[in-house]
Amino acid sequence: MSVIFSTMSRLFFVLMLVASIYMLFRGHNEPGGGFIGGLFAALAFALLALADSVAAARKALIVHPVVLIGSGLFLAFLSGLPGLFSDGSFLTHWWAELGSTHLGTATIFDIGVFMVVIGGVLALVFRFYEGVEQ
Amino acid sequence: MHAVTFEWSILIALAGAVVARPVSSVLGRHTGWAISLIPLFIFVSIFLHVAQVAGGEVLFSQLSWVPSLGVELAFRLDGFSLLFALLITGIGTLVTIYAGAYFAEKPSGELGRFLSLIMLFMTAMLGTVLSDNLIVMFVFWELTSLASFLLIGFDGHKEAARKSALQSLIVTGGGGLVLFAGIVVIGMTLGTFSFTEVLARSDELVASPWAGTIAVLVMIGAFTKSAQFPFHFWLPNAMAAPTPASAYLHSATMVKLGVFLLARFDGVFAEMPAYGHTLVVVGSLTMIVAALQALRAEGFKAVLAQSTVASLGILVMLIGLTGEVAAVATVGFILAHALYKAALFFCAGTAIHATGEASLNRLGGLARFLPITAVAAVLASLSMAGLPPFVGFISKEYLFEAQLANDWNIIPIAVAVLVNAVMVGVAGVVSIRPFYFKPERVSEVHHGETAGLLIGPMLLAAGGILIGLVPAPAAQWLIGPAASALYGQPIDVSFSLWHGLTPMLFLSALVVSIGALIVIKWTQIHTALKSFDHAYGFLGDRFYHGALNGVLGAARISTQTLQNGDQHRYTTIVLLTVIAGLVIAFFAAPSGDFLAGEGDIRISVALVLLLTVVGAGATIVVRSLIAGLVSVGIVGFGSAVIFMLNGAPDLALTQIAVETLIVILMTAVLLRLPSRTRHSRTVSERRRDGLIAGGFAAVMFVALASIGVTPVDLRLSEYFGETSYLEAYGRNVVNVILVDYRAIDTLGEIAVVAIATIAAWGLLRGAIKPLRTKE
Repeated sequence: MSVIFSTMSRLFFVLMLVASIYMLFRGHNEPGGGFIGGLFAALAFALLALADSVAAARKALIVHPVVLIGSGLFLAFLSGLPGLFSDGSFLTHWWAELGSTHLGTATIFDIGVFMVVIGGVLALVFRFYEGVEQ
Repeated sequence: MHAVTFEWSILIALAGAVVARPVSSVLGRHTGWAISLIPLFIFVSIFLHVAQVAGGEVLFSQLSWVPSLGVELAFRLDGFSLLFALLITGIGTLVTIYAGAYFAEKPSGELGRFLSLIMLFMTAMLGTVLSDNLIVMFVFWELTSLASFLLIGFDGHKEAARKSALQSLIVTGGGGLVLFAGIVVIGMTLGTFSFTEVLARSDELVASPWAGTIAVLVMIGAFTKSAQFPFHFWLPNAMAAPTPASAYLHSATMVKLGVFLLARFDGVFAEMPAYGHTLVVVGSLTMIVAALQALRAEGFKAVLAQSTVASLGILVMLIGLTGEVAAVATVGFILAHALYKAALFFCAGTAIHATGEASLNRLGGLARFLPITAVAAVLASLSMAGLPPFVGFISKEYLFEAQLANDWNIIPIAVAVLVNAVMVGVAGVVSIRPFYFKPERVSEVHHGETAGLLIGPMLLAAGGILIGLVPAPAAQWLIGPAASALYGQPIDVSFSLWHGLTPMLFLSALVVSIGALIVIKWTQIHTALKSFDHAYGFLGDRFYHGALNGVLGAARISTQTLQNGDQHRYTTIVLLTVIAGLVIAFFAAPSGDFLAGEGDIRISVALVLLLTVVGAGATIVVRSLIAGLVSVGIVGFGSAVIFMLNGAPDLALTQIAVETLIVILMTAVLLRLPSRTRHSRTVSERRRDGLIAGGFAAVMFVALASIGVTPVDLRLSEYFGETSYLEAYGRNVVNVILVDYRAIDTLGEIAVVAIATIAAWGLLRGAIKPLRTKE
């Protein structure tokens, strides 16, 4: 890969990652959310893998994609448990008011979705690119 | 000890299943004794309710589970479920002790795994018999099938074990689904899943047009579980399980569940004469088939297994009979059978374990080496033979009394006499032959009896004679309440050894005489029946294998024709199906006017659409796959812009991200394909593809254009729009629906994504070799 592409991809990687997290958290009120945020983050890592190497992208991700899938699913499941203890039922979310913003278990659920999407996409992307690199 | 309310027993048993495996690595060979304390504790805590229940009380308990579907975790303890719960935990205690000794020479981890499965089985059984909600009962019911699948296939390295496990799962699990259909129809008819309410409103149910359907579905479910003809074949095969599991399965657990269910529903369907008659016919057929198979069987366990099928047939027939004597006979026989059958399986296990020999023809003279086991086997088989003073005698007298009390003709009585005579024969053969007959056959055993191997059979055999001699307490506290719960009215049970000179006594004498003849002539009968092997094939599992092979064959054919790995064919099939479906829909539509060409043309949208048309056109023209991919990408991004222009930024963002990802993924795949410049398609193939694509485009155009004809229902959108901030504090309705209103759907979806990805990832793992060929 060219030096320019490689250098720029690092910059874009950071930018896209920040954007994805922004997407994730503003999702409840503006366009965005865990699914779109997850896709953006996955794109960021895929770009890194394309420009640099899969090994570098894996290193940047720290955990294994499959671990990310499992943890995300588990987190989403956990976020539903508090509802069992209140009057509602599973996945009836809890909310707390902090000034003008509302914080709730729905955000945790969305983070779970976010993680599953990143892990799911990257598990396959990395696998395919590793096949190409060899 | 403070009594635990009975519904907690299920959780305690489940806890036992969880701890058994880890405990085994600490306690080693003593795990069996330690774990047996759990079922013993449950047994005692349920036993403390006996007086209450015998007083006519029915204990209820309820927890909310899925209130929106009317499914409550409701439990009910009446005389009948009490009897079953005591059998399950009582024999369960003995099974865990016995298993500890049986697995003594195996690694402790294996014992732990086995005990864990036994406790899981116990959990499922307790749940099934205690549930008052039909849906909850079904969940536990299917869990028993799963647990028995794991137990039968415990020795997974043996092919026979795997095959038998699968067979039992297909038959009983499949039957369970039929039962589920019946339960759903009950719920639709009465609007409740509570068994107590169903029982109370049985008139309503029987009067409904669905009554026949429900009865048939429930019966099929019960027949598969209790191995009734023609579903009887799985149970003898299930002896592939380790013997402690067989003892449990055959005596106190799963195979009795079908009987349990039929008996429970007898209170509902008793007014439908066809119900009782069907049960009598099916039960009698099962009895005959099993009796013949028992005479043909060679293995120690195989003979016992066939006699279990015959006993289940007797029970089903008894439920089919009416009157309070039949109820007492049913309950008495369940108790007697559980006691002697578990004991006999324990003895068989000890004998097979000691010699490593399973065939009755090669066992003999074991009494020298296993004296106490031999005594227990004789005591248990005397009860099985129905001789006084054993409980088996009393229950058989009741069986004949119930038959004589019903206006049935001579045939069922003759069947019962013959089958009971075969039972006498079986009893004689399994107790005398291996232990006392031909002492020269077995000259040494690998190891003798241990305390753990003896407690079970001795206690059960002693129980059989004790209840026979002093029947009053059992009659008053167990059999009476159980029979009353079945009959729906209190029954005063006089369970006694001596009835006087009755026709029943005459029939008993007849049974014993014929039975003695069978014992003496066993070898001749056995050889004679063996010569008809071909005819018996039809009574076994030939039908099952035929059906299974048929399904596999059909699957193979459909895979070869529909999923042959050719992407062109897949696309063709999908497109043709959509075309056919839409064309049919157009013709079936009430009005012929599809095209709602309303509204103005928006320049911006039209321009984007024009761009996508260019992209689509380019896809057809370009020769390189990568270029084709990029051209298809234009169409995708064009759609994203359309979404944006129509005020759906969420969709647009998703579309852009997915489109980019697809390009990235596809590029990676395409880079690995051998690059070819020429098309592989012939001109005629391209022409045909073009035709299909054109047809698809035409129907899609009409379909999309017709959307405007029907007015859009905005109620849901308005509801979400109004409430999304108030109830879920989010202004983005799409996201609120995803994470809040429909969060459980999303959870299901991400679970599917996760499983599918992990599966694909696993398939690709290590399988990828660089395929790229440079030309």
